[in-house]
Amino acid sequence: MTMIEVSDMKKTYGSVDVLQKVRFTVEPGEVVAVIGPSGSGKSTMLRSLIHLEEIDGGSIRIGGESLVEDGRYAAPSVIRQITSRMGMVFQHFNLFPHLTVQQNLELAPKMVKRENAALIRSRSTELLAKVGLADKAGAHPAKLSGGQKQRVAIARALMMSPDILLFDEPTSALDPELTGEVLQVIKQLASEKITMVIVTHEMNFARDVADRVIFMDNGEIAESGTPEQIFGNPQLERTRAFLKL
Amino acid sequence: MSLDYLMDIARPMLEGAQTTIILFLIAILLSIPLGYCITLLANSSIRILSWLAHTFIYVIRGTPLLLQLLFFCFGLPMLPVIGEYLVMDRFMAACLGFVINYAAYFAEIFRGGLLSIDKGQHEAAKVLGLNKWQTMRKVILPQMTRVALPAMANESITLVKDTALLYAVAVPELLHYAQTAVNRDFTIMPFVVAGVIYLLMTLVLTLFFKALERRFKYE
Repeated sequence: MTMIEVSDMKKTYGSVDVLQKVRFTVEPGEVVAVIGPSGSGKSTMLRSLIHLEEIDGGSIRIGGESLVEDGRYAAPSVIRQITSRMGMVFQHFNLFPHLTVQQNLELAPKMVKRENAALIRSRSTELLAKVGLADKAGAHPAKLSGGQKQRVAIARALMMSPDILLFDEPTSALDPELTGEVLQVIKQLASEKITMVIVTHEMNFARDVADRVIFMDNGEIAESGTPEQIFGNPQLERTRAFLKL
Repeated sequence: MSLDYLMDIARPMLEGAQTTIILFLIAILLSIPLGYCITLLANSSIRILSWLAHTFIYVIRGTPLLLQLLFFCFGLPMLPVIGEYLVMDRFMAACLGFVINYAAYFAEIFRGGLLSIDKGQHEAAKVLGLNKWQTMRKVILPQMTRVALPAMANESITLVKDTALLYAVAVPELLHYAQTAVNRDFTIMPFVVAGVIYLLMTLVLTLFFKALERRFKYE
């Protein structure tokens, strides 16, 4: 079954079309990188998938279920149920500063899933080890570097066992020397066949990790294809211009 | 000036201080939750509720506390029709006035605290599946409280001193007994003693809020 199915996605702010006729699908286990200039609508598109933005027209289906069909949104309970299948990692991490790293991971499973505390603890410990931060469990986010914060944010999203992970420029707020550790974690997730949509400015990373690359420009998908096609032999002049080929 | 004399005047003043403390506790314990509710109303997407909350804050902040106390103690019973049902003990009426007045100020403090919280906190909570109530309780409120604490400490100390306004509505409290002693004995010593008692009360509060701030610090 197709994981994400978007058709004719449309969004306007006043008289400006931020998204128009956006159409794409993501298959289970696929990693899709979304690239494009600032203001091209990539973030808005990504945020619409998890209902942080509402679109004005078109359809979004997640795992076959309609989040929005022809511009009409599902009932709030259905929306909650659909978006709960996705996790999101933000550019600015958005960790909860008043909670320790481990509490950040455990808050949602405790409040939302109401799982057994011991089970939650063992999973949070395991995930912190996975992102290489087992020793930071008791630290508050303020004590962490940007790269560490983002790895905590990824672990926090994984705590809810999402089918799909969305990344909104996960390394854009990081010092260059800290992007590597975050990209490494994402790469590992890619190898585990988690479905991912990644909005990124890291072209090398996109080429490396993505099964498919979507190039957005002016609120529409200008071109999409395998990394080899997009980076090696782009069809459009504006894609070439953006990639400075 | 003998120690005996000091003990003599201090006794009724300490009794008066009890009234002060009871008023303080009633006002602080009721006005903080009420203020928080008013903040929620002010932030409500329902226009009329938000307007009502803002108007309430404007009226309360825009008029003297003394005027409000006089209104609650002596004005309410004079209202046509419902006035006769609003006759209450002057201390209770004053408490009501203090609660309402301080709720408005706390509401503004909390509103500032809410504004200081990044939109990303709401978004992170939402994508993790927390509902509005859970987000408020577990994510927003703790952060808001930390931001609001210094201003709340300030407000609480002001409240201790404002309790002296009970004097104007003839409810005997600390200052009342000091004034009585001054008039009777022709010495300003009772005022000094009153000042020391106020300072002790605000000292306790200052230490309390310092400890709270340390507890809410998360680095």
